[in-house]
Amino acid sequence: MSPSSEARVERHATLPAEVALHARPAGALVRAASAFAADVFVSANGRRANAKSILDILALGAEGGVELLIDASGDDATEAAEHLALLVPALA
Amino acid sequence: MDGNGNGAVTLVLVSHSAELAAGLAEMARQIAGPTVPIVTVGGAVDGSLGTDGGRVLDAMKAGAAGAGAVVLVDLGSSVLSVRAALTELTPEELANVSVADAPLVEGAVAAAVAASTGCTHVEAARVAEEARSVAKL
Repeated sequence: MSPSSEARVERHATLPAEVALHARPAGALVRAASAFAADVFVSANGRRANAKSILDILALGAEGGVELLIDASGDDATEAAEHLALLVPALA
Repeated sequence: MDGNGNGAVTLVLVSHSAELAAGLAEMARQIAGPTVPIVTVGGAVDGSLGTDGGRVLDAMKAGAAGAGAVVLVDLGSSVLSVRAALTELTPEELANVSVADAPLVEGAVAAAVAASTGCTHVEAARVAEEARSVAKL
């Protein structure tokens, strides 16, 4: 086990049924993730995307109602994962 | 001044087509939100496909006078117009402008979202250039 994997924090969050992770919601997620020092990733559909990269997040193609796995590592990993886990179900 | 104090950096989109630039600006605004100023320079002086060096220079000077500017270009003579405009800027303006060597659509979207987080023009250009290595499929 490397130190970084020990520090990894995971949270699950589900997108609202009618909100896909495209366009404006994707931008909102990336802006939120960028406020943290931690490395933050979002997984869906068997892909894992850097939550600070809009192009990566758009490529996920996560549709409304999909459950996302958020994983974060680094200094403020817990805060980052919990913040995003609250944000995702509230995206509009 | 490194353009980090007041407001987001300006995106300058330079394209042969006014419609292409305007459509891309609309898309970037939808994703990045309304806080990022986006200036489009599309088409030739007479409105046909082409580039207008004078408007390119004006847009870059205006962006440089604000919180800094990141410039994205499509192809060929757009790049030449931007290069020519760079030679007309003062040293202070030059320090406040970054030209991103990036694909136009992906680069503009990535730079706009980066700019919306309050980063510098240098950082926004770097993020745009990362678009070169992001796989679509």
